[in-house]
Amino acid sequence: MVTIQSVLRSARFAAAAAMVAAGAGCGGGGGSSDMNGGAGGSASFVDANRYSAAAAASLSTPNESVGVTHHTLTLAGGAVAYTATAGHLSALDAGQAPEASIFYVAYTADGAAAATRPVTFFFNGGPGSASVWLHLGSFAPRRLATGVPATTQGAPFPYVDNAESLIDVSDLVYVDAVGTGLSEAIAPHTNQDFWGVDADAAVLRDFIQRWLAVNGRGASPLFVFGESYGTTRVPVLARLLETAGLRVDGIVELSSILDYNSNCSVSGGKPTINCAGFLPSYAAVGDWWHVAAAATSDLDADIATVRSYADATYAPDAATWLASGTLPPADHLASLVAFTGLATATWQQQFDMDYDTFRHHLLANTTLGVYDGRMGALVGTPLDADDDPSNTFVEPGFASEIRALLPELGYTNPSTYVILSNAIASWDFSHGGRALPDVVPDLAAALALDPQMKILFLGGEHDLITPFHQTELDVARLGGGAPLALHFHPGGHMTYLDDGTRPLMKAELAAFYATATGAP
Amino acid sequence: MMRIALLAPMLALAAGAGATPHLDPGRPPASAQQAAQAQNRMRPASVGATLDAEAEAHLRASFDAADSAHRGSLSRAEAQAGGFGWIANHFDAIDTRRAGRVSFDDVRRYLKTTRGPNAAAAQERR
Repeated sequence: MVTIQSVLRSARFAAAAAMVAAGAGCGGGGGSSDMNGGAGGSASFVDANRYSAAAAASLSTPNESVGVTHHTLTLAGGAVAYTATAGHLSALDAGQAPEASIFYVAYTADGAAAATRPVTFFFNGGPGSASVWLHLGSFAPRRLATGVPATTQGAPFPYVDNAESLIDVSDLVYVDAVGTGLSEAIAPHTNQDFWGVDADAAVLRDFIQRWLAVNGRGASPLFVFGESYGTTRVPVLARLLETAGLRVDGIVELSSILDYNSNCSVSGGKPTINCAGFLPSYAAVGDWWHVAAAATSDLDADIATVRSYADATYAPDAATWLASGTLPPADHLASLVAFTGLATATWQQQFDMDYDTFRHHLLANTTLGVYDGRMGALVGTPLDADDDPSNTFVEPGFASEIRALLPELGYTNPSTYVILSNAIASWDFSHGGRALPDVVPDLAAALALDPQMKILFLGGEHDLITPFHQTELDVARLGGGAPLALHFHPGGHMTYLDDGTRPLMKAELAAFYATATGAP
Repeated sequence: MMRIALLAPMLALAAGAGATPHLDPGRPPASAQQAAQAQNRMRPASVGATLDAEAEAHLRASFDAADSAHRGSLSRAEAQAGGFGWIANHFDAIDTRRAGRVSFDDVRRYLKTTRGPNAAAAQERR
């Protein structure tokens, strides 16, 4: 049986060999290492490459050297010794030609059995977003303590041991898509070659296959975890992995957008898509700010009421308004006002209610967050500077921590780690014969190839951009027999930032992994 | 100078009034949105048999990509080399006629036998 311990030893050997090979490229001895440290040996690597997130960027000197460091995390169930590996690995095409140099940070438990130890690949979205949110905010061995939804104590946030880490359940690999973080296409390819729904998923499939092969993990239970656009990416990726002959045991979709043709936030401004999937989230946010007259002390019960109303009454009313501009009877408007706290006049003006209108009009002179409607700022104050207090509050802390963390993990590079590139401006959104992607058929295809693959949907009830009820509506298309679970809790788009919700998510994830791997 | 100084706040206002800079998922380019809008009037979200057909279309595209010789069938080795390793892994179960080659119809027929909870439990695993 191959153990992770032996795999790591061989990985370190490979890294040492690569460092020797890359020595000239390091500008004459920029790198240093302590490769003779025995079983607990660490490695550090100064990568002289300049990585770029520009569309035309094309890397000519890829390397696969890594920083390796060793750590211990104490969880409720005991201490977990783990190794952090940070660096690049090249995705190769079918002919073994390099496509892209993918940056990743892997956290792998020491001494686990590769055949039974799950490995999970994490992807944020954008498109154009590095996987910094999931990496630093969610279930890695350490996390940033943001205190969200409070906005009292801003960045820098403490980077603390994570009592809700998934490292006791799975190895964790945080992957930056091409043209994000420190990932770049390899010449003759350019970043633009991988900026499309299908091309992006294909190159990430190739990266996962390469990582599993290089690390001797082909037999390990395989999980893929996406957030935001990552939930569009992951179903395509899961289908491609299953097609290639890998078995995906489970996929986790956090804050989902499965169908760009059904989510009314996509068009913005004056939506052309029915916004009924957003109504329960509007009610949850109105509930939070104590402006929803119909709210009780039971958020779950309120959501259930509004979900039913959205399906039975608001959805057809909004369809009528979209088609003819006709408003419903006054009692329907009164119900919407009572559920959400949003004024009658606002509903009359924009009956198919988009989230921008909602979050700028719910409270006087206040902007509410796109990512978390519980976070607000008075217009003109610093937190309102980017028109999204929930992003403005957290992003600087994530940006500064990733830059501080990588050298601590033994990986140093002069390039700017790109949190969000401009990939979306030239992204090819076409997929499956549609101009904008619908990945429900990809889920169906992956399930056809592997009926035992399991799917977990998670999300926040106060997320105003990928509302949980829209996910419920999209997922319902798969029919009643699909092997999936859905759990939504108080929180925003980065749902795990909420200290009350993160432990609930951890418990649901642990149960999901046990089910998906057939563990007792 | 005066005009440049005035321009900066105006641009900032324009950005604030439009898309916020850090959205994920962000809004696709307007051209893609307009194309989708026209399409969606003709093609509502798929369910049932229509969804199954769209799922199957993805698999057929992968099959056709692996069938570089355009023979309409794949050997086990061709499936593996062409990126459809799933067919290679399940080849004997799909190739019920023991022809040494499988068509996409053979794949469809096999997938029908693996649908549903009972079939799923019996399905050949890795």
